[in-house]
Amino acid sequence: MSAFVVAEIPALPLHTAGKYVAAAYIVVFAIVLIYVAIMAIRLSHIERDLGELLAMADEEQPQDSSGAERESAAV
Amino acid sequence: MYGKGLRSLSIATVVAVVAAFTLVFFYAPLEAEQGFLQKIFYLHVPLAIIALCGFVLGGLFAIAHLRTRDQRWDLRSYVVIHMSLIFALATLITGSIWAKGSWGHWWVWSEPTLVSFLIVFLLYATYQPLRFSIEDPERQARYASVFAITAGAFVPMNFIAVRLASQYVHPRVLGSTSNLPGPMALTFVVSLVAMALLFATLCKYELTAKSARFKLRALRRRLAGEDAQRRPRRRSAVPEPHSSTTLGARVAGGGAST
Repeated sequence: MSAFVVAEIPALPLHTAGKYVAAAYIVVFAIVLIYVAIMAIRLSHIERDLGELLAMADEEQPQDSSGAERESAAV
Repeated sequence: MYGKGLRSLSIATVVAVVAAFTLVFFYAPLEAEQGFLQKIFYLHVPLAIIALCGFVLGGLFAIAHLRTRDQRWDLRSYVVIHMSLIFALATLITGSIWAKGSWGHWWVWSEPTLVSFLIVFLLYATYQPLRFSIEDPERQARYASVFAITAGAFVPMNFIAVRLASQYVHPRVLGSTSNLPGPMALTFVVSLVAMALLFATLCKYELTAKSARFKLRALRRRLAGEDAQRRPRRRSAVPEPHSSTTLGARVAGGGAST
């Protein structure tokens, strides 16, 4: 004998239970959404940092090449 | 390395979650006693199972960290516990909503399952403050691992103790899974798989983001020169899987992988 009995009609009226079920699923959806939003903010920080590093690398590169040219000229 | 397979895992998660929710609302029959309210269980129970398994997994990763002294295991342990805490919070909220609909109360203090889960949640809520309170990264990782192992061992003990308690009113879903009608059992299993995939995907996202940030930090130190390397480290609860020199050398060598 099954412990669960499947019914055709819900024991609780749908309009009463519906708001609780909707609330539970919306809460979980909201938590995941907040997490994704936080990850998006972090990603934008990483992108910004990467841009700064690229700018730093670009600044250093011409100096290095001009220094190398001077050395070769001195030789 | 952490980003490998992230795309396929994300797609699998979306498919599994959509399939689970479709089964919950269009396939699984209504339960006689609870009616429509029982649909919460397809979300609440998998969340609780995954959260508790995550806490135990965090302990296992911590054992691996203490055995190998590899900081990457500490990072994995940290991320898994962090994610389990979020899942545990979702479990508490969905459980509370169900209790209000079924029992008429948001919380019942005489119910051992609810109170024990809250104890586990509060125990792990102290994990991050513990990490943050220790400045030395080595000591922080070691103490956090000891905490994760101890608390991880407490989780199954607590679970068994609560199940052995004679007086309870909380529905036993796991013990009666074999008695579930086919469509309900299928829906429950798909929901469990969906939540497990969601957990794995979010952990992987977190690990990938942290790994990218560490590599960027190491690259910045390298580009900024020796002065920047001598700057005091900002206090953080997040474990750093590599020393700056090791990762810096890897970045310079073009093989930056974790």
